[in-house]
Formats: sequence, structure tokens, C-alpha cells
Amino acid sequence: MDSDLFTFIVGGKAGEGVKKAGSVAAHIFSSMGRHVFQMDDYMSLIRGGHNFSAISTTPRWISSHYMKANLVVNLDKRSCETHTNDIAENGIMVYNSGEQEFETGIGIPLTTEAENYPMKKLMFGVGAVAILAATIGFEGEKMNQIIKEEYPTGIEDNIAFADTIYNMVYPYCGKKFTLENGDKKRPIITGNEAISLGAIAGGLNVYYGYPMTPASSILHFLAQQAENFGLAVVHAESEIAVINMAIGSAFTGARAMVGTSGGGFALMTEGFSLAGITETPLLVILSQRPGPATGVPTYTEQADLAFALTAGHGDFLRIVASPRTVREAYFLTAEMLDLVWKFQTPAILLTEKHLSESSMTVEIDLEKAKWAEPKMHENGEYKRYLDTEDGISPMLFPPSKNIMKWNSYEHDEFGITTENAEMISFMHDKRNKKLDALIKYLKKQNTVNIIRGENPTNIFSYGSTYMSVLEALKYGRMNPTSIAPIYLSPLPIWELEEFKDQDNIVIEQSSTGQFTKLLKEKAGLGIRSTIKQYNGRPFDPVELSKKIKEVL
Amino acid sequence: MEDLKTYAEITWCPGCGNFGIFTAIRNAIPLLEEKGIKRENVVMTAGIGCHAKIFDYLNLSGIYSLHGREIATASGFKIANPNLKVLAFSGDGSGLGEGLAHTLFAAKRNMDITMILHNNGVYALTTGQFSPLTQEGWKGPSTPNGSFEIPFNSMSLMIETGATFVARGFAGDIKHLTDLILQGVEHKGFAFIEILQPAVPYHNWEEYRENIEYLENEPENYMDAIKISKEKHKFTLGVFYRTHRPIYHKELYGDHNPIANRLSRETRLNKIRKILGSK
Repeated sequence: MDSDLFTFIVGGKAGEGVKKAGSVAAHIFSSMGRHVFQMDDYMSLIRGGHNFSAISTTPRWISSHYMKANLVVNLDKRSCETHTNDIAENGIMVYNSGEQEFETGIGIPLTTEAENYPMKKLMFGVGAVAILAATIGFEGEKMNQIIKEEYPTGIEDNIAFADTIYNMVYPYCGKKFTLENGDKKRPIITGNEAISLGAIAGGLNVYYGYPMTPASSILHFLAQQAENFGLAVVHAESEIAVINMAIGSAFTGARAMVGTSGGGFALMTEGFSLAGITETPLLVILSQRPGPATGVPTYTEQADLAFALTAGHGDFLRIVASPRTVREAYFLTAEMLDLVWKFQTPAILLTEKHLSESSMTVEIDLEKAKWAEPKMHENGEYKRYLDTEDGISPMLFPPSKNIMKWNSYEHDEFGITTENAEMISFMHDKRNKKLDALIKYLKKQNTVNIIRGENPTNIFSYGSTYMSVLEALKYGRMNPTSIAPIYLSPLPIWELEEFKDQDNIVIEQSSTGQFTKLLKEKAGLGIRSTIKQYNGRPFDPVELSKKIKEVL
Repeated sequence: MEDLKTYAEITWCPGCGNFGIFTAIRNAIPLLEEKGIKRENVVMTAGIGCHAKIFDYLNLSGIYSLHGREIATASGFKIANPNLKVLAFSGDGSGLGEGLAHTLFAAKRNMDITMILHNNGVYALTTGQFSPLTQEGWKGPSTPNGSFEIPFNSMSLMIETGATFVARGFAGDIKHLTDLILQGVEHKGFAFIEILQPAVPYHNWEEYRENIEYLENEPENYMDAIKISKEKHKFTLGVFYRTHRPIYHKELYGDHNPIANRLSRETRLNKIRKILGSK
């Protein structure tokens, strides 16, 4: 592993500014021109409990946090106990001696010092930032500038507190680590921000949501940006309302998107099927958390894949794709918005808490995003469900002298309900033709990412697990071929043909191996072994590299 | 298709109250045009049930929605393009059973749409089960010993939930009904119009005609409206409540129109660039 990898973990109670401290730390690293990956681990509660952020940084591209930290800052006792094994060999641990003494580590009386200010505990995060700054020899002046920008409330107190802590910790571990500067400063965004921005770039007009972790931050971000981008962003009464409102909006020509997690999507499946028969362009963001049912709300898993692939009753074309990285989430969201309007069918962008809520430094060539445009009716008599060579009927939106009838019942070309035997099979055939057209189109697109290696074994993964795999391979200096399908339905089997009889390993976050099954059944791949993790936590690259070594 | 009919075969039972509603709405559209509401700006949706068959028969654009989801669909039309006049046809089962939450929230939001609730007091298309508006004691296939749930009082329910125009009409008084529809569509805010509509296999017109009465005066304020809606029986026709408060899409984005005023790709990318610059 490169010696310039540095990992910072900060842990404490919810309400002590842990996550914020993590994100300020990430900005300190990015201000040095370095790449950053930040993973926030938090519990489903408002105050108390234990939260932590793990931020890893290098001067090269990095695609995972590490769980062995060079610096661990524990704001309370529980954090000290939780992160005992998370300190790297050369690492140091700083704890809040204002709450308790600990046998090892450096005690700094954060609680006692914070008592001097009205914000008290709310300043712990600032203290953690000061400890980090001192440890990596980040100049006090620069630190104060960042604190000023990131903590707009009580600036003077925050700076005074940060200075005190900085000076207190400096004699013990000041400049203990030297971090090289990287090549340039890059923006840091979360997966959900990338999804939101990608949707906007692709032409989004309306977004509907009902709060559900880990998709809620899409609703929050877009609500905040609604005025800036002229969007309608609505928090509706239920996921059922959400999807039906979105379908209503799509009828008027609005590029509509909805977002949720597994339980909310379960409620949406009725409307998802409606989008299928009405041929509604609709993009659903499904950010997975561990299920079944309420499951584990604030953690990660990949166990809704099989559900997404078959969601909704009846035969209709469903598109499912999953972004591997935060950067790709931007492009894929725009691309899928374009696809649903091109092919007039619903699609699911399948992701996970680990991508949705983790932050990364990104470089995005914004112009390369797709822009959603449907095939429009030009002139003459209008039939909403006109049969065409590729099954795609031209669209028309109100106001118009023509009549556009979208129908949840089986219907004729004009859109009137039918029970006629010939018409029923005719319409099935008409809609099914769109799959052939879609495959033809996708064959010209990048649907699978393949990184060729020298080791004869292939490693398959999808979604954010791809990032964990890549980091694990780098850490372990292993060189197998890595294959990550971006599209899962239709699965690009034309790209996977060559791997059929090779030695294949799958890495995924599902206890029953849903992705493995998909590859076996749809692509006919022989799979020797599957590495699974289903404890709600993303893979740690060190642990994962050991597991990969065992099977290679 | 000047008479606003499509080529679809009409499959309501002969003598069904739905014919009266169909006539009233076809009368209302040209009158609305005279008032400056263009036909191409009127869009419709319907749930699933006997009421909803009107979607196939009426030559207007829209979505034949799912059972109970018509109000969510209608809200989606309005939010995306506030220039549209939205008619949401609904039934007592669809709008107050399966889709109750959507109806109550549309009223709470004062969504600027017109809900036309065909009340035949029964789940007719599915062979006569009791509905949320059916009187106690109804012997249907799902309640062979008689239903024992009390029905909703639709008028007081909608007034209390926040609807700003609440009225009841009758499929047998087309003139009165046409006028209610005109008022509902012209009203700015959530208009709820219930229409008593005999389903002939289950009810007879006489039962309705004998009991129909008209409100003498429109209640002047909220408390009066609640009181009158509680006191009067379910065959009482007229406007029970009318008020004005801010409508949903204006509160959401003012005079903006998400479709008509959509930003160009270039403007969007420039703004995104700015956001990324601050991250």
C-alpha cells in the first residue's frame, strides 16, 4: 500500500457534530489537492448512541475508506471502546479526558474546555478538527479559515476553542504525520448529490419523495435547489402518492423522478406496473439498506436486486442499472432519465446506502451528461399507442387539440380500454418490441466496466461494491480481471459471453447471493465462489483483500 | 367528436346514474369554453370502477389511473403544469376507500383540482359490496349478515379536512349538476363535488327522488357549514362550503411553471458548475 495513505476516524454521540467534523476533515484534505473517501456510520436515532466518520485520503484516486486509522479521535467513552482495534500500527488515539481517563492514547479535556463556551458539547466536532490539524501539521491560520467557512455559527468562540485544543495537542503529536500535497483541489460530493445533479443535468422538472433513509437526502438536496433550477419538489403523503403523482406529471411532459429505499419501493410497485402499461417515462432511485421490512435503516446492503429486477405485476420492460462510483452516479442518472424518455418505460437506478451517503472527491465533465428528449408526434392524426417498427409511439403533451389517452387497462392504439383478444396480444407484442430496440441501443453504450488483469481469475461485482473491490485489489497488490456490469436489466450478456467458462468469483452484499444467481441464470456464467458480506457494513479493503487472496 | 364522445361502446347499465353525470360534464365543457377555459387545457383522470368508465367515453386527454390513485394522478398533472384545468373522476370506493389518504391530502393541500365523486353507495363493478358511504345493514356478498360499519359523512369530512369548495349534486338533476361542475372547475382550490348516482341493479331512482332536498342557503362560515353538513341527511344537495385560502402550487413555487419555464441545459450545467465549485 502506498505510504501516503492517511485515515482519520472521529467518533462520538449523535449531536456532537461527528459527521460535520468528518466532512470538515475531508475538506482539509481536498484543500491539499488530495483525493478523499468519507464513510459516515450512524445509528437510527437523533441524540446519543455512537456515530463515526472514517475518512481516507491519498494523492491518487481512492475508492474506499479504511478501518485502520492513523488518527482516531474519540469524543466519548463508547467511542474509545468501539474503536480500540481501529488504530493502525503507527497510529495514535486522542480521547476526551474531560469525560474519562483511558489507559492508552492522548487525553485532551474537550468537555472541560468546552464548558467555557455557550455551545459546549456542540463544539466537540471543532475540537476534533483542531486535533487533526495539529497532528498533520496543518497551519493554525488555514485551519481557522476553514472553521470560519464551515461553522458559520459562533465563529469567534469556535476559533478560540480550536486554537486552545490545537495548542494543547501539539506538544504530544504535532506534525506527527506529513501529508504530501496532491495535484489539485476537487469538489467533494455524496452519491445522492451526484444523483440529484445528474438528474438536473438530464432535464429533471419534478421530484416526488417520502422520507426514507438512505434516499431522503435526495429529497432534501432537491428541495433546497428547487427554486434555483425551477423544479417542483414535493414531499407527498406516501410512496404510493409519490409514484402516482410522478406518473401524472410525466403525462404533461415533465421529466419526473422519485426516490426511496426498499420498503417504500414495495409500496410503489403498483404504480411501477402502471408506468409499464401506460408506457410512462419514469425514473425511480432505489437506495438499498438491509432488509427485509424495516431492516437496518442507516446501513448498507445489496439485497433488493432480485426485487428490483421483477418489481411490478405483469409483463413489461424494466430497466435496472447501478452506478459504481459517485462520479458515475451523475452520468448514469442523466443517462437513465434519457433512456426512460427514449423507450417510454420505467427504470430503476439501484444503489446502496454506501454510495448514496458516502462522499468522494470527484472530477466531472458536466457536458458529457445525457439530456432526456422523447420522440415527438409531428403531424396528422394522433394515437398515443401507435404501433411502430420499434414499438415506441411518438409522444404529445397538453395543451393540444389532439387527444392523448394513457390507460391502465389494456387498450387500443388510441388508448381506449379493450378486452378484444387480438388487441390484447397485439399490445403485448407492441410493448415487447421495445426490449429489442433497447438492447440494440445499449450494445453501442458502455454497459459493463472491464479492467483486464494478469491473474486468470475474474472478479464480478456491481454498484458501490465495485469501489471496495478496486481498493482491496490495490491494497493487496492483486491483479485479476475486474468485471462490473452497470446495467442489470437487460443484463448485457453480449459483453459477458467470453467469461462463461473462465474462473469467476463474485463479491456482493447479499446473504443469498442474488447477484451470483443473476449471473448464473442470465449470463450462464460458471461461478466458483462468492464472497458475501451482509452485516450492514461496507467492505473494509484490508479485510476484503485477505478474503480475495484466499480464493484466488 | 363535437359532442365530446369517443367511439367507445358504452357499457354502463341501461338507466344508470352515470349517464346523467356524463351529460352534465358534456354540457359543462362548452360553457367553460365560453368562459375562456380552453378545451385543450382541460385534462382528466379517473380511478377504477363504474365511475371510471367515463374516461373511455369522454373525448378529453388524461390518464385512466389505478383504483384509488386518481387524486394522486390529478395532483401530478397540476403540480407539473399549473396551466391545466384538472378533472378527477372518482367513486365512493375509489376516492374514499382505497384512495382515501390521497383525497384527504389533496383537500389539506388545497390542490387546485376538481374531484367529481360518483356516489352510487356500493362497489357496483365488483358485484355489490358495501362502500365507505353505504348505510349500515347493507347485505352484499362480503357482508351477508349486513354491514356494521357506519358510513363517512362526506360533506363534513371534506370540510374539516380542508377542501375549499364542497358540494353535492344528483345525477337526476342535470341542470343543477352542470352548474355545480362549472362552479367547481372555476373555483381556485380543491373542489369536492359528490354526485348521488343510482346504480340500478342495487338502487332505484324512486328512493332518491323521494328523498332529495336542496339547501335553502349556502352556509356562510366554517362552523355553520360543519353544523349543516352534520344535521342534513345524505340526500341534501347544494354547496355546503366555499372559502378561499392559498392554493398548493402557488405556495410551492409562486407564479412559476415547471414545464413552461424549464431551464435550458446550458443554464443548468452552469449552475451545477457553480455548486460544485463550492463543494
